[in-house]
This record gives sequence, C-alpha cells and structure tokens, in this order.
Amino acid sequence: MDFLQPTSWADALAVRAERSDAVPIAGGTDVMVDLNFDRRRPGALLDLGRVPELREWTVEDGTGGVGATGGVGGSTVRLGAGVPYSRIIDDLGARLPGLAMAARTVGSPQIRIRGTVGGNLGSASPAGDAHPPLLAAGAVVEVESAARGVRRIPAAEFFTGVKRNALEPDELIAAVLVPEAVGPQQFCKVGTRNAMVIAVSAFACALHPDRRAVGTGIGSAAPTPRRAPEAEEFLAGELESAGLWESRGDLPDGLARAFGERVAAAASPIDDVRGSAAYRRHSLAVMARRSVTWAWAEYQQDLRKAA
Amino acid sequence: MTTMDRLVGAGVDRIDGPAKVRGTAPYAYEQDPGEPIAHLAVVQSTVNRGRISRLDPSRAEALPGVLAVLTPANAPRLGKGLASDLPVLQSLDVHYQGQVVAAVVAETSEIAKAAVGAIAVGYDAEPPDVALSPDREDLYAPEKLMAGFATDSIIGDVDGALAAAVVSIDATYETPTQHHNPIEMHTSMARWDGDSLTLWDADQGPHNIVNDLVTGFGLDAGQVRVISPYVGGAFGSKAFTHPNQMLAAMAARVVGRTVVYELTRQQMFSLVGHRTPTIQRLRLGADPEGRLTAISHEVVEHTARIAEFAEQTATPTRVLYAAPHRRTTHRLARLDVPPPTIMRAPGETPGMFALESAMDELAVVLGLDPVELRIRNEPERDPERDLPWSTRNLVECLRTGAERFGWAGRDLRPGVRTEGRWLVGTGVASATYPTRRRKAQCRISVDGAGRYVVEIDGSDIGTGAWTALTQIAADALGTDMASVELRIGDSRLPFAGGAGGSTGLASWGTAIVFTARDLRKQLDEQHGGQPPAGGLSVDGELPGESPHAKTHSMHAYGAHFVEVRVDRDSGEVRVPRATSVYDAGTIVNAKTARSQLLGGFSMGVSMALHEGSVTDERYGHYVNHDLAEYHVATNADIGEIDISWLDVDDQLANPIGLKGIGEIGITGAAAAVANAYWHATRLRIRDLPITPDKYFRELGES
Ligand SMILES: Cc1cc2nc3c(=O)[nH]c(=O)nc-3n(C[C@H](O)[C@H](O)[C@H](O)COP(=O)(O)OP(=O)(O)OC[C@H]3O[C@@H](n4cnc5c(N)ncnc54)[C@H](O)[C@@H]3O)c2cc1C
Repeated sequence: MDFLQPTSWADALAVRAERSDAVPIAGGTDVMVDLNFDRRRPGALLDLGRVPELREWTVEDGTGGVGATGGVGGSTVRLGAGVPYSRIIDDLGARLPGLAMAARTVGSPQIRIRGTVGGNLGSASPAGDAHPPLLAAGAVVEVESAARGVRRIPAAEFFTGVKRNALEPDELIAAVLVPEAVGPQQFCKVGTRNAMVIAVSAFACALHPDRRAVGTGIGSAAPTPRRAPEAEEFLAGELESAGLWESRGDLPDGLARAFGERVAAAASPIDDVRGSAAYRRHSLAVMARRSVTWAWAEYQQDLRKAA
Repeated sequence: MTTMDRLVGAGVDRIDGPAKVRGTAPYAYEQDPGEPIAHLAVVQSTVNRGRISRLDPSRAEALPGVLAVLTPANAPRLGKGLASDLPVLQSLDVHYQGQVVAAVVAETSEIAKAAVGAIAVGYDAEPPDVALSPDREDLYAPEKLMAGFATDSIIGDVDGALAAAVVSIDATYETPTQHHNPIEMHTSMARWDGDSLTLWDADQGPHNIVNDLVTGFGLDAGQVRVISPYVGGAFGSKAFTHPNQMLAAMAARVVGRTVVYELTRQQMFSLVGHRTPTIQRLRLGADPEGRLTAISHEVVEHTARIAEFAEQTATPTRVLYAAPHRRTTHRLARLDVPPPTIMRAPGETPGMFALESAMDELAVVLGLDPVELRIRNEPERDPERDLPWSTRNLVECLRTGAERFGWAGRDLRPGVRTEGRWLVGTGVASATYPTRRRKAQCRISVDGAGRYVVEIDGSDIGTGAWTALTQIAADALGTDMASVELRIGDSRLPFAGGAGGSTGLASWGTAIVFTARDLRKQLDEQHGGQPPAGGLSVDGELPGESPHAKTHSMHAYGAHFVEVRVDRDSGEVRVPRATSVYDAGTIVNAKTARSQLLGGFSMGVSMALHEGSVTDERYGHYVNHDLAEYHVATNADIGEIDISWLDVDDQLANPIGLKGIGEIGITGAAAAVANAYWHATRLRIRDLPITPDKYFRELGES
C-alpha cells in the first residue's frame, strides 16, 4: 500500500485525480478503524496532514457569496477540513457555539486532537456529531477537484445515504463554510454512557434572529443526518406571529413541546444495539424541547442586538 | 525479631510503576525471543454448529511471506486429554461461532492477516441454538459447580415456609452475557529449542498454563517454560489456557521459528471466555418484623456444548442471611456458544445482583429501612454449613457506610426527590466473597551482604502484587523493600497457583511468610543471626487451605451506598457518588488496595448501566463485539467514590490476616445501583444493564 503525502492543496487534488484507489486520510480516526477491521484495503492512503491550507480557519465577511443559507451580511467562518475538534473547542466557541458544543462531546481527548470535521463529513455517518450543528447553522461544504474546480454544497444536500456523501471520486473536501452565530445555538446528544459514545440520538438547533429563522439538525435517527424543516418553519412562524423575535418575551406554553414533537416526527429511526427506534424518537422530542428552551432563555438574556 | 515500622498496610507506590510508565516493562508481545518472530492470524468459523465442508488454503499458501497455513487436515496432532476448546484444529466439527478453523503463519502480522482473507471455508451448518430461557426442556443439573460447590442446597421446607410467610416477594432477575475485556489483548509467543518450549504469555499464572502444554505436546513439565512477568489486566479471561497458547506453540513447531499470536479485540469475544447470562428467580419469605423465614434462589445459566462451566451464582445466598428454610439451585442449558469461564467474582457478581435486589424489594414491602433489614437477618453462624465465622463484620460495614454516606433520615418513599430534571435516589447493597488460599511454594535466598531474593510463581495482572508481595517479604524478613528482589511470573520459579479467586496474596504471601520464618530461624540458629558469607537459600511451602477452613466459614464482606440520578425526560442514569466499606481483613498496600476496590466497584457500576454482549439469535454471534459497542464505564461515568475498610484482620485465614480484595468490590455493586434507581424513579429494572430506554419501557411509554 502506498502512502502519499502531498504538501500543498494543488498537489493533493492532483493525486486525488490520479489515484482513484487512494483513500484520503486526515486524523485517521475513522480510516484506521476501517483498516483494522479489514473493511477496506485501499491501494494507497492519501495523507492530508501536510496540506497547510486544510489546517487553517479564517473569517470571511458576508459578501463572499457563501450560498443561499449564509448569514445576511454576517461573517462566515471558513473552517479548513483538517482543523481538529480540539482547535474548534479552543478557538471557535464564540463564533460557532453549536459546533464547538458538539466537538466537546466527540470521543476522548486523543480523538478530539486527531479527528476533524472534514473526516466526519468524509465518513458521513448518520451518527457524526459535527453534522447536526452544521445543518442547524446552514453550513456549506466546499469541495474541489483538479478538473472542475470548486463546488459548494449545502450541508443539507451533502449527505446522500447511509455513510454516503455527495463527493465525486476525484474531489476532496476543502473546507466548511459556517455562518457565524448571530443567535444562540445548542447541541444535545444521548448516549448509553457519558463519554466515548456513538450517539443514540443527537440534536442541534440554532436561532437566526437576523433572518428570523430557526435551524435544526438531527443525528443518529435517520439514514442520514437531516434537518427537520417543518419544525423549523413551525417555530419560526410561531415566533414571528407572536412578535417574539422583537419582544424576546417568554415562549408560549407548549410551544417548545410542539416543536419537539415535530422534530421527532422528522426522524426515521431504526432499532439497533444502541437503542430502540421508539427511544430515539422520544429522546429527540426531549432534546429539541430542551435545547430550544435553553436557546430561547439565552436569547432573552442576550443584550446584543441581532444583526 | 527486630522492631521496625511495618510495611504491610502502608500505601507504597508500585515498584513496577516507573518501568511501566517508561514502557520498559515487557508485556508478552514485547518480549525478545532472540530471533526473528513470525506472526500468526486465524480464520474463525462463521457458524455456531456444523462441520467444515470445504477449506482451501492454496491461495493463502501462495502469498509471498506466508510460512504455513495450519488446518484441521495438516495441523500437528495434539495429545489426548485436552478439554473444552483446547484441541485446536483437531477436527472438522464446529461447536461455536468464532472457533479457529485455520491459522496462517507469516513473516509479518499484516501478511498473516491478509492471507486470512484468502482462505475460503465452507460449512454444513445447523441453525444456532443460543437463546437461554427458563422454559427450555433441556435444562440440567450439573454434577458440581465451579470451585467444587454443590449444585443445589436445600434446608427445611422452603415451599411450605414461603406459603406461610406473612410477607414475601417473588421476582426474576436477569444478567446478560459479559466479556472481560482487559485492555491487553491475549498474547502468546512461542519458541522451541529442540523439544523444549518457551512461551511468553499474557496469563494469570504461568503454572496454570504449563499442564495443558505438557498434555498437548507430550512433554515433561521440565520441557515447558511459561514467562509472564507483566500482564495488562485479565479479570479471569487469562486464568486458564485458551486456544492462543496452543496455536502459538503448534505454529512455532511447524515453522521452526518463534511465533507470536496476539488476539484482536474482536477475537476476545469468542476465544477467551465470557460470563454466562443468568436468569435468577428469588423468593423471600419473612415475618412482619422482617426476619427471613425462607430464601429460595433458583438459577438458570448456560454453558458450551463442548465444555461444562457451571457458574456458582447462588452461592453467596448460602452465607449472607439467616433463615431456617433455604434453597439454592443451578440449572444449565448447553448452547452453541463459546466456553464460558470465570469473570471477576464468578457466581457472586450475578448472584448478588439478584439477592441484594430481592432484599431491597422485601424491605419495600415491609416498609423497612433496607440497612435495618439486613442487620435483622445477620446470622450468628454460617447458615448452611453451621460453622462459626472466622471473622464477619458485615453489620459494621453497613453501619460505618451508612454514617459516611449520610444515610440517616433517608426517606423510604421512591420517586419523590428531584433536582431540576433529575430524579434522585439512594440505595444500599451488601458485598461478600469467600476467603481461601491455595498451595504455594517459595524460595528465599540471602547473600552475604543481606540482600534477599524471593522467588515464587505469583502473578501481577495489574493488581499491585509486585509491590504488595515485596512489602510482605520485607516485613517477614525484617528488612526494607530495597533489600528484597522479588521474582514472579515464571513457571521456572517455585510452584504457585494463579491470580484468581482473590487468593493471590493469601497464598503467595503466606508462602513467603512461612519461608521467611524458616530462613530467619536458620540464620538465628546456625549463623548467629547474620547471613553467612556464601549466602543461604531456603525452600518453603504453604500446603493449601487454612487448617481452620474446615471448622470456620471465611468470607470478606462489604457494603455499598450509592446515589443515582435519572433524567426524568431522557432516562439517562448517573452515579454521582458512592461509599463502600469493606471487611477484607488486613490491607497490605493501602494505595493499590484502594485501586482494586475502586476498580471492582466501577466494574459493578459498569455492569449495572452498560455492559452486555448482545447475541443475535438468528445468526448466533455477539453483535457488539468491540469496545465501541461493548460499553464499559468511562471516567465520566464514575462519580465521587469513597472507599474505606475496617481495621480488622482474620488470623484464622492466614498469618497476614488478609481476606483478599480482587473481587469483593464488584459484588453487590450493581444491586446497589439498581436499588438506588428504584428509589429515584419507583421503577424496578430487573434485567441488566439499566439503559435509558428501559425507563420508558417500565413507564409503559414505549
Ligand atoms: C475512539 C473513537 C471515538 C469516536 N467518537 C466519536 C464521536 O463521539 N463522535 C463522532 O462524530 N465521531 C467519533 N468518532 C469517529 C471519528 O473520530 C470522527 O468521524 C472524525 O471526525 C473523523 O475525522 P478524521 O480526521 O479522523 O477522519 P479520517 O479517519 O482521516 O477520515 C474519515 C473519512 O473521511 C475521508 N476524508 C477525510 N478528510 C477528507 C477530505 N479533506 N476530503 C475528502 N475526504 C476526506 C477519509 O477518506 C475517510 O473516508 C470516534 C472514533 C474513534 C476511533
């Protein structure tokens, strides 16, 4: 097996195009498990660890044309695909609170130092913890090939099936473009132990007061990570019609619960070793109710004006 | 005797700690056999029962770097008399899923593993029979249980007493299959020199392994040497010989080179044993004051088609509480499963979950404090053997624990305490484990400068035995630890049984004490108390059980107090704090003992909340056969644990006065958690583990 180590993004794309038998490896926390379990025997590993462009994050202002769901006039974090969870936790807690919360729940310190969001997207597991906050924030995945250049794929369109994504064989993930939070974000995860656990179910929500929208992301409760669009529209609509975006008044009784029920309805979970479908649905309803309650409480206390 | 500070009791740092931290303490895989090492990988059956119909090694044999492929057709014939799964590659019959059906030896582990994929195997298979149920018609009573315990014990008229009881409970508890999962995978490295075999091995006692190699390869005991100075955990899975030792030795013989076989984590779910699942029916009868009139504990568990392993699950019920009418029974189903084996406190661990849960349920029916219920049923003598206790301080453990934990004034009502979204409850359970010791031999030598070498085939599987034995030896020799060089973990050393049954320090330590006494006597009587210039060497022996074991009932005891919080919306469970108090006799090393007791209790929490190997009844395999899916408790699952012990010793057990601490910590722990869970929620989960979804199952909501 060859071990290919390009040192620039252009070289990495060239190698990706040439070697269709190569498997990209970032932190290796999924790839090495697959090799160990003999799930795949690639002809080569394409190590992305020496590509400096992937290890950086930068802030782009709102004119950068981030795609339909990007923040209106707000800034966007361009998170290199190879930035590990530990740096997201250290550097981006304020700008990307939802993703940072999710990052804190990933694996163990060792896994958080190695593992990357690019790798999470590459694996596209329905249980990947980065996915729900990316969906809720309206992130866009930037992929690139030597032949056709850059494509920007909204996170909601990136996951195409169980552990499948929209990446073409000659493409690599360059970065994730995540609008900076302009309102509260939350992430919840239920597992059968308190750390080092693949989620039984997970949920992220984001309030976008700037565009009076609500974002959601469901994990581990459908063949792919997915949004709960009806729940989003329902909640945003209720907030709008009650004038709550401006007044920041209390949530009407039962609203959070009704939101939770709609989130649960958006899932299509299965029974497996980690939990039953019924439990997954139930826990999603609980997490959605709780997280929106917390997010709203934060919004009420938040004196910063929305953009 | 010179008077000096006793080392026994002190919290001495591990003497092997620096080497382990630096990575210079060689585990089996890291040993240097003095020649290039070949690697072994295995092909495992994908069916539970049947016969190999086709096995073609030719593609694997043709791969560059492959030295040999061993199959039932060409593997060396092993001697008769090997039991269970040890006659590896001796027949085409398949008895459990994961059985080794072929083995590749290659220049590197990568080549060996790749070659495994090139071997095609076909089977004539029958459907797997792997589901345990109390309704099976083929349940049978084994002749004896593990460790020689009687299968059943019946005293008085249990059914009559239960029928007449003013208060009674009748409940069935279930524990799942569990796998030990020590962090070091089982590893065996074999080298032949002529007809002599050296095996560097991860095991719980080199002498335990020698006999099977002698039988299998037709050797004399002197021709086999097993070396295991450092072992990365075991929990019973390394107590006995498993296929790995046989395979490594066989392969090394075939290729004429050192061969190492390190199991993969997944292989540890089929090749090195597990704890049987249990289904236990408990019936208790009591008078209105809570005095037990009858105890019935009926156990159904499994064993393998090819080996009988009868776990002694109800044996703690034979000693823990007084009652005139009593019954314990064990019935087995022979299933198409790998052979079960001992796992930390075999018997007591699942058995105490059932008994101590039932006691809690009885306390609820009586409206009595569960601590008080236990105290009211404290027996004056062993209730089944009718013998006095050597020492028994269970009541003292309960009282001390209650005080440390802040039990007084506890509201008996369940489901009434909340802190935010958390339902909060507390629970108690007793702990017990037998005190035993085994035959052991020892050699102590002293040189002219007063430096001692203590040799005994004891075993340190991560417990701290290196340190504790050195402390015992230094005290017994009247010297300091730096003057004692301990040698353990090598079958060339004087005979000792393995680390198991919490007998290690009781056996090896006592052998050391006896031998040291002899040595000092000889020094005093023949050499004026000074080591002679040419040194002196003395062999000693501990014959076996304590002479008082026949006339006294000897056990360690403990009490666990646990707080449990249950998220009332999600059903998630947390154990923020616990107190455990032990009567384990003399504590040799306060530091490593605390680790043992903490580890035992944590494993009990893990059993209560996480552990369970899920069997797919259609395909017959363990679904969650890796550490990503077989959950053991993590740091974040264990809260504040307050460990302490009573200042007691048991002079009838052994001259050191210790009772053994390797297993007592796990016993009763799962029941304490489940009892606290009930107190928090009103819900009684009788089938472990207590996963979040069971909360809703019990509420009837999903
Ligand atoms: C012990 C342990 C605990 C874990 N716990 C969690 C957890 O709690 N939550 C969770 O979500 N995950 C968890 N994981 C899984 C894993 O850590 C994550 O999925 C992580 O994000 C993977 O990142 P990586 O950089 O290590 O990816 P890698 O293993 O390097 O790659 C993963 C996949 O992505 C592809 N890939 C990587 N980078 C790119 C790129 N730039 N372009 C195209 N394809 C790419 C690879 O080819 C591969 O298919 C755990 C794993 C382990 C071993």
